[in-house]
Amino acid sequence: MAQPISFIHFSGHQHFRSRLVLSILSGRHVRIDKIRSEDKNPGLRDYEISLLRLLEKATNGTIIEISVTGTAILLKPGVILGGTLQHECPLSRAIGYFLEPIIMLAPFAKKPINITLMGITTDDHDLSADILRTVTLPHLQLFGISEGLELRIKKRGASPGGGGEVQFLCPIVKQVNTLNFVDAGKIKRIRGVAHAVRVTPQFSNRMIEASRSILNRYIPDIYLYSDVYKGNESGKSPGYALTLLAESTTSAIYCAEAISEAGVAPEDIGLRATRALLTEVEKGGCVDQKHQILVLLMMVLGSEDVGRCRMAEPMPKTIQFLRDIRTFFATSFKIVPADISDPNCSQLLYSCYGTGYVNANRTLA
Amino acid sequence: MDDQTHKAHRKTDKGGKANKKDKGKEKQHGYNEKAFAPMSGRRADRQGRRNVERDQTRLHVPLVNRTPDEDPPPVIIAIVGPSGVGKTTLLKSLVRRYAKQTLNDAKGPITVVSGKKRRLTFIECNNDINSMIDIGKIADLVLLMVDGSFGFEMETFEFLNILQSHGFPKVIGILSHLDLIKKASTLKDTKKALKKRFWTEIYQGAKLFYLSGVLNGRYPDTEITNLTRFISVMKFRPLVFRNSHPYLLADRLEDLTPRETVRTSKGKCDRTVTLYGYVRGTNLRLGTNVHIPGVGDLPLASVTALGDPCPLPTADSEKRRKLSEKKKLLIHAPMSDVGGVMYDKDAVWVNVPGSFTRGNNEIPQGEGEQMVMDLQDVDQTLEDRVAQSNIRLFGSSSKALVVDEDKDSEEEEYSEQSDSGIDSDEDSEDEDMDEDEDIPRHADNTGRTTRRTVTRTLPSNTQERTEIDYAESDSDLGENEDARVKLREDNDIPDDDDEGEDEGEEEDEEEESIPRWKANLADRAAQLAAGTHKRRKDWIKLIYNSSLSPEEIVNGQQSTDKSSEDEGDDFFQVKSTHAEDPDVLDQGKEPLDEESLKKWEDEEMLDSIRNLFITGAEAAAEGEGGDGEGEGEDEEGSEGEGEDEDEEGVDEDNVGGSSSKPTGKLTRAEALAKKKEILKRKFDEQYDDPSGPKADFYDEKKDEIAAQLALNRAEFEGVDAEARTLVEGFRPGQYVRIELHDVPCEMIENFDPTFPIIVGGLLPAEERFGYVQVRIKRHRWFNRTLKTNDPLIFSLGWRRFQSIPIYSLDDHSIRMRMLKYTPEHMHCYATFYGPVALPNTGFCAFNSLGTDRPGFRISATGVVLDIDRSAKIVKKIKLTGVPYKIFKNTAFIKDMFSTALEVAKFEGANVRTVSGIRGQVKKALPKPDGAFRATFEDKILKSDIVFLRAWYSIQPRKFYNPVTSLLLSDKSKWTGMRLTGQVRRDEGLKTPLDINSTYKKIERAPRRFNPLIVPKKLQAALPYGSKPKLMAPQRAPTYLQKRAVVMEPEERKAVALMQQIRALRKDQIARRHEKKEEKKAERAKRLEKEEAKKGEREKERKKDVMRMAGQKSKREAEMQEGGGRGPKRRKT
Repeated sequence: MAQPISFIHFSGHQHFRSRLVLSILSGRHVRIDKIRSEDKNPGLRDYEISLLRLLEKATNGTIIEISVTGTAILLKPGVILGGTLQHECPLSRAIGYFLEPIIMLAPFAKKPINITLMGITTDDHDLSADILRTVTLPHLQLFGISEGLELRIKKRGASPGGGGEVQFLCPIVKQVNTLNFVDAGKIKRIRGVAHAVRVTPQFSNRMIEASRSILNRYIPDIYLYSDVYKGNESGKSPGYALTLLAESTTSAIYCAEAISEAGVAPEDIGLRATRALLTEVEKGGCVDQKHQILVLLMMVLGSEDVGRCRMAEPMPKTIQFLRDIRTFFATSFKIVPADISDPNCSQLLYSCYGTGYVNANRTLA
Repeated sequence: MDDQTHKAHRKTDKGGKANKKDKGKEKQHGYNEKAFAPMSGRRADRQGRRNVERDQTRLHVPLVNRTPDEDPPPVIIAIVGPSGVGKTTLLKSLVRRYAKQTLNDAKGPITVVSGKKRRLTFIECNNDINSMIDIGKIADLVLLMVDGSFGFEMETFEFLNILQSHGFPKVIGILSHLDLIKKASTLKDTKKALKKRFWTEIYQGAKLFYLSGVLNGRYPDTEITNLTRFISVMKFRPLVFRNSHPYLLADRLEDLTPRETVRTSKGKCDRTVTLYGYVRGTNLRLGTNVHIPGVGDLPLASVTALGDPCPLPTADSEKRRKLSEKKKLLIHAPMSDVGGVMYDKDAVWVNVPGSFTRGNNEIPQGEGEQMVMDLQDVDQTLEDRVAQSNIRLFGSSSKALVVDEDKDSEEEEYSEQSDSGIDSDEDSEDEDMDEDEDIPRHADNTGRTTRRTVTRTLPSNTQERTEIDYAESDSDLGENEDARVKLREDNDIPDDDDEGEDEGEEEDEEEESIPRWKANLADRAAQLAAGTHKRRKDWIKLIYNSSLSPEEIVNGQQSTDKSSEDEGDDFFQVKSTHAEDPDVLDQGKEPLDEESLKKWEDEEMLDSIRNLFITGAEAAAEGEGGDGEGEGEDEEGSEGEGEDEDEEGVDEDNVGGSSSKPTGKLTRAEALAKKKEILKRKFDEQYDDPSGPKADFYDEKKDEIAAQLALNRAEFEGVDAEARTLVEGFRPGQYVRIELHDVPCEMIENFDPTFPIIVGGLLPAEERFGYVQVRIKRHRWFNRTLKTNDPLIFSLGWRRFQSIPIYSLDDHSIRMRMLKYTPEHMHCYATFYGPVALPNTGFCAFNSLGTDRPGFRISATGVVLDIDRSAKIVKKIKLTGVPYKIFKNTAFIKDMFSTALEVAKFEGANVRTVSGIRGQVKKALPKPDGAFRATFEDKILKSDIVFLRAWYSIQPRKFYNPVTSLLLSDKSKWTGMRLTGQVRRDEGLKTPLDINSTYKKIERAPRRFNPLIVPKKLQAALPYGSKPKLMAPQRAPTYLQKRAVVMEPEERKAVALMQQIRALRKDQIARRHEKKEEKKAERAKRLEKEEAKKGEREKERKKDVMRMAGQKSKREAEMQEGGGRGPKRRKT
């Protein structure tokens, strides 16, 4: 009997990364069409092509077919390989754009991954290298991926010139742990990194000062580091940014970030980051909004037990992600208000039954 | 013996003895420590060590058992053994024991209730190896039957080896036909021998049962009862593979293909098939693929949970400790002839034992007889009855609907059975019948609307069952279930006790009959009045059940409402534009919104979130300790918080529970109580259990598993069935109906209930194909080696398939080197193309599944190691060339490559001559093509052959051929790709012989070496030590030769004497030698004679042996003609 090959069909350029990741993890073939077909400049952008190339590099046996116009692609995923890789990211997107899918795939690779990405480390669209290092990786630790998990920022590169370099190391696991994280706790410490490249190092101190002016009222345990990269390590363009994170007693982490802008004083950048952090804190939950997708994905991939997590309301992309998960893994989430008795509580409790995903790529013996 | 009466013992009540005894008794109370105390220190040490070791043996790796504790699926008990061993007899005996039914034709799975908490599914495994493989993968308990009068047969060992590679279920051995052994001592010896062999095969002390003769077509009741006792206390350890895959053993199969399509395609169209069975293993999710061994991979078209056809007694139906006799009658065996009714393809057979007279109501009648009598009783047509029937919208409605006279449409609906009105009609009828049993049952109760193939259901409840299929909600299911059970009770066993219970139930139903929406009206009103109930988004519905875009969902209720209305109203919809907005980036973080950040400029706003930080005081109960900065303080605060949160979690769980009253005082008291509780717990933890053995790893893990399982249960406790299925799929233990589309028609056409149909769920990874690397070992009982590139049949995961492996070995961790044959007594690797299985999955392999070969059929076993999309196997290749010009250490080599490009690829490669001189490829030469310059460590000879050792990578052939045995009419006759040798034999072809590969005698001319000539000039220049010392032979006689010797007379005498003595001595030796020779010859003669005698004896012995063998083979051949494989000496 012929093997039925079923494609999962999507249209539109949105949620491109999460769909590719789900396809590779589940092994289902995916066809995405109508990629900016109505646009003046139709088809895939350079960074999307670059991402596809990166995924091809990180896997074995992946077949990617792109239509002539670039408005449709077909992905037949192979096995996730891992190992030592290098990738030059285009300057249109920051490294975070490429590293996010890699972080989702890396624990399920055949070999521990060691990937060096070059390009922009911080910009205002994607998660900066600092957030990935200090916030995203601790989120993976919730699922038992910790030993040897590391992100090294070797060089910083601000947009538009880039020139940054990060190295990501990730171990492999057999199966991720089931998450049961319903207690958000209270914030016990605040940390931050202020960096300034190719501008006066005083800028970072000024951002820190401004930020402290708000945060000092809450708790005393605040450390904001001034991280200065010099010379060759500081990339090709000037820029500075402040990354803040607040950690709770149960190690729930909230984060925020603000990037330098032309004509805005460093103090304002500092204030902006601080206020964004307060917004996140106010929303609450155990996972901040930027990492909803990562956490939900890992919950679905857990063993066949109930995983629970308390989070803020889903973002639009999270909603689409939940729908995509259902098409790929046939699993839905139970989403109920976290606190029935409190009518003002907007937090939700996400619980799902793991699919029992086992890393089939792992080699035995 | 027992009728002999004994005098009762009388105790003395006086005297020393009486006193003494009493004294002794006093001491006997409780545990006597001294009795078990060790006598010496060494002994104590040994005892302690033994205890520790014994404790360790009981430990197993903690595994999660995913089978739920309440309502588990029936335990699958497979009865396996070679043909003629008494499997069917045992099955019938067991069914008789549990269900009090005598089956004449026991086929397919038979489910019975065995206790208050346990159901059993019996299945008989026929002697086909495909069935044995499939059964081995699903059986929880195997009753392995062995003919005691014959001994173990090959199939038994094959089955045990299959079990071993797919996770070993529990096995109970059963020796049958022991009555054929007449002599008691022989019987004892046989039992002992067989038990010993059985124990070595399974484990020391494995349970082995003995069944003596057959009485009334069954085994003796006492023996069967004993066996069932063992079955009922059997505990099962979860098996890894089954605990990670959903599966079900189909006990019923229906073909739903429209008859017309089948007719027009002459039965060759793909079918739509429904399979029924209990879900086992893990949760079955819609949207995954399943594999049916013997058929193939199929996507699940739909899955519906049905009412349990063989339910466990519930707590209220069964208040007694033991299972009542009535429950024992429950049996679910759609493929066999329960109650004497059997369904053929186009006929129904009713088996009537003894004589049958109509109107004899005293004798309880079988199902079939009842059915026939009902058919005879019919006095109305269906049409009439439909016209008469009162259709009520709900079962509890008081007024019936007026029936529309349009009968056509009515009938249509009836046949579809999707109309709830009809359903309720059926319900009401059933209830009617419950009330007065005198009215004979209406004919349509036994009627069927779907055509049945070979399978069958319980005829009395076909209607109910199908209506359950379409039940809208869980509560419906429950009601129908009750009705069904009741019906069975009433019809099958007229029992007076029942009446009271029934009435009670009906009352209950009446109570329930208040419409749901009315039930908690007051509560709701109160809720509304309180105004606490805020309208919330139903996220599950919005995300999974609406077609709104994510942005619409997030942006708020109004827009969603509007668009949902739009959905209903307009056929045409305005295409949402923002989804297609090309500027929207797929970005990791949302852009900062300046406006929303402005609110933080407000001090009050800043203060409002103070309670989210540890320093912020929140509840009054927390106290004023907040200003401290110590770590301990922090921790305490956090723990307190944690507890609070936990409590909240619990609250959420029992959603249905009473909402807490927001009275300030009460909450305060509650909070205080809570806090006290926490403190108490903490105290208890610290002081209560001081010595408390620190929970070791094992206990810790077990506790963890138990906690997670409890959480799993609690999470979905109150959720309604539909939502629950959406989130967690179908739980193990549920009876489901699986619909499959595009099933090959042969599965239906050639359906045979004696071959099990298994539906195995696949994990996402297992649907893919790739190169699977396995560690493999040829089975030591398989008598031929396995050859690379010969097809092999694997049983891996759920699948059975044929593929072409390449064997390899790891060569010093540098490369995977291909092997032509599997090594003897050693593991090697094999790589083949096929469907992926998770690493660490066991498998077994076969060369052929047929019964034509008499030996052991399992050719190899192993385990999956790795999965990839390419294989890295290499084989050695030697390129040879010859020198055509030789310089000192350099030579020009030709005939190794054909172009300069090839040479360029091998620049720097190591080469070697036959004589062992090593060298290197340097550069290509312009002429001739492919020639190159190479340097060596020494000068090579013109006659040397230069070779280059290289590695050539090979990929296994992409061949995958599933064993589709269920699609064949003769299920054991599956043939896959044949081995090369077999093809040659069948086609009468000779093995191709390459002329260059033949071994020939090598003619080598003797090598001639020229003498070494050193030129005179050079010789002269050499130092003396290096000069060749060549001297001309002496020509002139030497002085010693030249001189004449003249002796003195005494001298002459002495010389003469010496000569004489020497001559004598010589003669003496010669004579002695001669004598020795003589003796030697004599001995040789003697030995020869003896040898000849011995040879004669040997010849005689050989003759005897050959004669015996000839007779044996002749006998075997005769038996072969008599019966198929595995003929048996049967003493009758």
